[in-house]
Amino acid sequence: MPTQDFVSRLPNDIGGFEAGSVQRVEHVLEPWEKRCHALADVLDFKKLINTEEKRKGVEALGETLIGKLPYYERWIVAFANISFTKGFFTPTELAEKMAEVEAHFAEQQAG
Amino acid sequence: MAHDHDHDHDHGHDHDHDHDHHAPITADAAPGYYEVMETAVREILIAKGYLTANDIRRQIEVLDSRTPALGAAVVARAWTDPAFKARLLENGRTACEELGISFYDDTQLIVLENTAEVHNLIVCTLCSCYPRPVLGLPPDWYKLKPYRARAVSEPRKVLAEFGTILPDDVEIRVSDSTAVIRYLVLPRRPEGTEGWSEAQLAAIVTRDAMIGVIPATLEKEAA
Repeated sequence: MPTQDFVSRLPNDIGGFEAGSVQRVEHVLEPWEKRCHALADVLDFKKLINTEEKRKGVEALGETLIGKLPYYERWIVAFANISFTKGFFTPTELAEKMAEVEAHFAEQQAG
Repeated sequence: MAHDHDHDHDHGHDHDHDHDHHAPITADAAPGYYEVMETAVREILIAKGYLTANDIRRQIEVLDSRTPALGAAVVARAWTDPAFKARLLENGRTACEELGISFYDDTQLIVLENTAEVHNLIVCTLCSCYPRPVLGLPPDWYKLKPYRARAVSEPRKVLAEFGTILPDDVEIRVSDSTAVIRYLVLPRRPEGTEGWSEAQLAAIVTRDAMIGVIPATLEKEAA
C-alpha cells in the first residue's frame, strides 16, 4: 500500500480498502465485555467520554495495536488512556487497582 | 471466538475454538489482563464518584432488553400502517418512540425504505455504529474489516456473500453510520403475506434484513 494512504487515513478509516470475504461470525458477549459496553454507554451519558472521543482514543492506539487487540480490549485501553489525559485517575492509580483486583481474584480462588 | 480484529485472518469458520487472546474459559480461570483492567477502571471511577455501580447494572439491563424483535415490530407496523410508515421515514427516532422504544443515547435514526428500484445497506466504515436502541448490539461480522471495507466499494459482491443477488437495474445505496446518525433498513414486505397480522409479519423480519444484507422472506432463516 502506498505510504500516502497511511498519511491521509487514520487507522479506523478503512472504507473502500480491499479485504477478504465476509465471514458471518458472531459470539455472545462475555460478562466483562458486556460490562465494558455498559461502561462505555455510562461514560457517554455522563459526558465523561463520548462516542467520538472513544473512537479517537482507539485510533490513538496505532495500527499495530489496533490490529492485535480484539474489540472490547481496544475500548478499555482507550478508556484508560483518555482517563489519564482528562485527569480522572493516574497511571499509578490504575496499576495499583489492577494489582488489587488480581490479588482479590487470587484470594477468591484460594478460598 | 470471533472477537473483532481489524486484520484479516481466517478464524471465521470454526465456532468451537477458544477465544483468540484468552486462556480457555473455565469456571475458575483467572481473568485476563484486559478484564482486570475493565474491573479496575470501573472501580476507580465508582470510588471517585464519577459513576455508580447502579449506573452500570441499569445499563446492562438496558442492553439486555434490546433485540432485533424491537426493530421487527417497527417494520411490521410500517408494513400495515401507511401513516405510521410516513412518520417513520420522516423521523425514525420519534416514530420508534411512539411504539415505546426509548433511545438511551443521543443518536438520530434514519429509516431507509427498500423498494423495487432501490436496495439499502447499512455499514459503519469507521468502527461499529449501529441502531442499537432498536436492534441491540451488532454482530461481529458487522464490526470486522471485510464488511466495513468492502460494503461501500463493492456492495453487490458483499451482498452475494450473504446469498443476496439483486438485478442489475436495482440501485444499491450504502449508508455509512456515524456516532450520532444511525440507519435502519425497512425491508420490502414479501409477497404472500397479504392479510397477515402484525405479529405474524414481525416474526419474519430478521436482523440481517434490517441491516440490508438479506431480504425479508416468508421463512425466517437468519438471526
